[in-house]
Amino acid sequence: MIKKDPNKGLIFNIQRYSVHDGPGIRTIVFLQGCPLRCPWCCNPESQSVRPVTWVKNGKKETISHWMTADEVMDEIEKDEIFYRTSGGGVTLSGGECLMQADFGANILRQCKQLGISTAIETTGAMPLTEIQKVLPYTDYVMFDLKIMNPIRAKQVIGDNVAQVKASFEEALATPTARVMPRVPLIPGYTTVPKNLQQIADYVHEVGVKEIHILPFHQYGSSKYEYLNRTYTMKDTPLLTDQQVSDIHSFFEDQNIHAVVNGLE
Amino acid sequence: MTTETLTKVERPAFETVRPVSRIEEMKHNLFKQKRQISLERAKLYTESYQQTVGEPTILRRAKATAHILDHVQISIRPGELIVGNRTVRPRSGILSPEMDPYWIMKEIDTIGTRPQDQFDFTKEDRDYYTANLLPYWTGKSMKDFINAKITPDVKAAEDDLVIKLNQTDKGQGHIIMDFPLILNNGIGKYLEIIDQKRAADPDNDFYQACEIIFKGMQRHFQRYADLARDMAADPATPDYRRVELTEMAAMCERLETDKPYSFYEALQLLWMTSIVAQYESNASSLSLGRMDQYMYPFYKNSKADGVPAKFLREVLGDFYLKTYDVVLLRSAESAKCFAGFPTGYTVALGGLDKYGQYSVNELSYKMLDLYQDIQLPQPNLSVRINEQIPRRFLNKTCETIRLGTGIPMIFNDEVCVPGFLSKGVSLDDARDYGVVGCVETTIPGKTYGLHDIALFNLMRVMEISMYELRDDKNLTYAKLRQRISDNIDKYVKIVTKGSDIVDLGHREFAPIPFLSSLISDCLDNGKDVTSGGARYNFSGVQGIGEPNLADSLYVIKKAVFENKELSFAKLIDLMESNYAGDDGEKLRQHFINDFHKYGNDDPEVDMECAKFFRHFALELGKYKNIRGGEFNAGAYTVSAHIPLGEDVGATPDGRKAHEQLADGGLSPMVGRDHLGPTAVLKSVSKIDNTLAVNGSLLNLKFAPNTLKGDAGIRKFADFLMAFTQLKIRHVQFNIQSRETLLDAQKHPENYGSLVVRVAGYSAFFVDLNKQIQDDIIRRTEHNL
Repeated sequence: MIKKDPNKGLIFNIQRYSVHDGPGIRTIVFLQGCPLRCPWCCNPESQSVRPVTWVKNGKKETISHWMTADEVMDEIEKDEIFYRTSGGGVTLSGGECLMQADFGANILRQCKQLGISTAIETTGAMPLTEIQKVLPYTDYVMFDLKIMNPIRAKQVIGDNVAQVKASFEEALATPTARVMPRVPLIPGYTTVPKNLQQIADYVHEVGVKEIHILPFHQYGSSKYEYLNRTYTMKDTPLLTDQQVSDIHSFFEDQNIHAVVNGLE
Repeated sequence: MTTETLTKVERPAFETVRPVSRIEEMKHNLFKQKRQISLERAKLYTESYQQTVGEPTILRRAKATAHILDHVQISIRPGELIVGNRTVRPRSGILSPEMDPYWIMKEIDTIGTRPQDQFDFTKEDRDYYTANLLPYWTGKSMKDFINAKITPDVKAAEDDLVIKLNQTDKGQGHIIMDFPLILNNGIGKYLEIIDQKRAADPDNDFYQACEIIFKGMQRHFQRYADLARDMAADPATPDYRRVELTEMAAMCERLETDKPYSFYEALQLLWMTSIVAQYESNASSLSLGRMDQYMYPFYKNSKADGVPAKFLREVLGDFYLKTYDVVLLRSAESAKCFAGFPTGYTVALGGLDKYGQYSVNELSYKMLDLYQDIQLPQPNLSVRINEQIPRRFLNKTCETIRLGTGIPMIFNDEVCVPGFLSKGVSLDDARDYGVVGCVETTIPGKTYGLHDIALFNLMRVMEISMYELRDDKNLTYAKLRQRISDNIDKYVKIVTKGSDIVDLGHREFAPIPFLSSLISDCLDNGKDVTSGGARYNFSGVQGIGEPNLADSLYVIKKAVFENKELSFAKLIDLMESNYAGDDGEKLRQHFINDFHKYGNDDPEVDMECAKFFRHFALELGKYKNIRGGEFNAGAYTVSAHIPLGEDVGATPDGRKAHEQLADGGLSPMVGRDHLGPTAVLKSVSKIDNTLAVNGSLLNLKFAPNTLKGDAGIRKFADFLMAFTQLKIRHVQFNIQSRETLLDAQKHPENYGSLVVRVAGYSAFFVDLNKQIQDDIIRRTEHNL
């Protein structure tokens, strides 16, 4: 189980030169562990709260490792020069990075001290206390809004919508943090008109003017094989350009600026 | 006076409506016919030589060049505004049997079908060559001289496949003439200067030789003037073309003496200067230097005169197309190393001026704009970058790169300028550097740099060292490293000796008075560049295989000496067997996958690369060439990582025998970098790029979607600013998806215009042989 240790984190990947996840050139630190079980999850290896091994091309690999905060900072600092020229920095992702909020806060705080931009990607699916730990050190909050109906959310992905909203509003109320809601467009789940309307209504209610929409992809499918798990979304077709465009218009028509894939 | 005549005549020319776009028409014409060999230059040169027996070489060369200028067939092609075609038929290869008459004989029946850079060679011409040119030059060529001078140790090092001497069969090239000098004086004034020198030193053959060729150049202009007038008089010529031809005739005559005033005139004189130099030496890379800087005053004149932008664009477009008309006929071996016609019309845009300010002007932008429309492999544009580069120009540069042709490439002032300062170049001159060949830097108008004189295979040195020590029972890692260093020293001494022999061959056989007259300080000291007349006199030797060397040594260090997984003798057996058998393959995978590799920002392995390159560069720097200049190290392969890889057996980095070495020079070995382009740059930055005074090369491949939109450009520009701060000397990009390239391999007919980055230059993808195509496809694509 993941401990509340600010100096030790369970990491399953550190990815440099990420240009599609927040401003500038970024390093993404992927933290292990997630309370949700989204059927479309593209990082299924991240869900367990324990170190995970999988079998890739016949070879057994341990993919998550305990790292000290210093070790993670060493990795982050390798691309410092690129953060400086691009206004980029570090993004904590997951899993749900708030599952290791103490560790995450430590990393983000150290980055802020070095003048490195900080971001988190979160679903907000943790008690309010957890996001409160990281918000003082976070410049950008990329916040997933998925299924808004509390019953459906509980049933399908194990989410507590009230908790998500509380975390989201806490982020919005933090003056130093820029919050960007992101909606993964998952056919049959998040894209049903009612759900999209609930998202739009909620976004209006809290006074947000812009969202990012992220069309469904199958990039994670082979990982299920490595983990010897069944991927239930394998036969779900990708959204057509027209479908994405329709959803885009749906939001725009309600005066919410929607950006596909978060790219300009 | 010149001004008025020009502006008056220019106007009707561009106001007429042409049936097709001039540039499109000319581009189409360039590729209509198959490439052919033209014997004309060789014949005329030989004809002249037969008449000048007994005279000093430099005068014979000058007379031969003038003879070519007087008699070579000339043409003005449809749509052309600028005159001066090296051959009547576009893109013909020309021969210089005075340098080496033998290689073409060996390949006479295969040159039309060889895997790389085929040329048709007509039966008639082949017979003429065999019956007349070969017998005449046999025993009399520069190659004969060099072969006779090659000492046993140099020969042995060549046979050991450690060194390869270049330019033993053609002109040196790799030089930038002082174009501003001729443009700001004009031929008439320049001849006066030469005459004054000659009067003060009447016995100096060099001055006489200069005069002979400049007068030949005047007559060559007149021939074009006459031709243009004849064509204008032809009743079949449409009216709009008649106006153009009439003006071209008048301009050619003016330029016989006057200095140019307009952009059009300046481009014409620039091109003619380049063509004369081409006839003189048939060399690779008579490069154009900082064209946006020295052409800008003329561009401004034309703008001030109200010449429409469209016309300026057309005439510059014509100039661009001409640079791809000149192709270089290389031997099969040379074509492997320099595949796809890197003729070397290299241009450096932007960069520091003598005040230490970033210098960019409207023409710099226009040159990139026009390139975006034409997209041919030449001119090979590059952009000089430094911390002061205006963001607007950087963005324009990034947008041009995003088109995917690999042009422009990027040079870093923050590295190149200190590099030259460390070699005794003055601050003003160092800031004025330009690019020649592929990625070599030089001081325009002041340097005879032999930038491409030799290749030095560091991996062969490692291999030789390993085999020498195979029976050493007390071998340590330090001892192995020491042996490699010692052998580097040994072969460096030999490569400098070999380079000097080639250097001397060019002095004795191939002085280039016309080109020399436009290199400071040749006119002042009355000497040809080959005799040491230039201000700067470098020789550049390329160290090849640094990344593989570092990867290999790291495996040896860890597996053999630290982890003691296998003995050194066992490792050698493994190399010798080329990783034979299942066990061999298992170990090979182990060596590839379980040890750090250069290109992943790992200081331990990166520093091994850095240390050996430093050692090589400093050792080379101890030697002086016969012109009193320094030897400078380079770290680039062009496409030679493929043939040089063929020379090396299996290596501990998991590379199998005869496979290619790392591409580029400083790029990680293909498929060995896993952490993305920032990690690659960090690794490359560990190598002290300032030491690579002669040039270095880094290839990066990006997936097109990484650079999408304004955000893509912004982040790409930011990435380049980090590159600048990391003090990396050079980088170039391939922006083509793997799928596109694979499809182009399968369906070449659909990709006739797909231009890709090969090495320090770009080429048509379909012009490259499969091996090089595969290499480009395999280079790690950074795609996130």
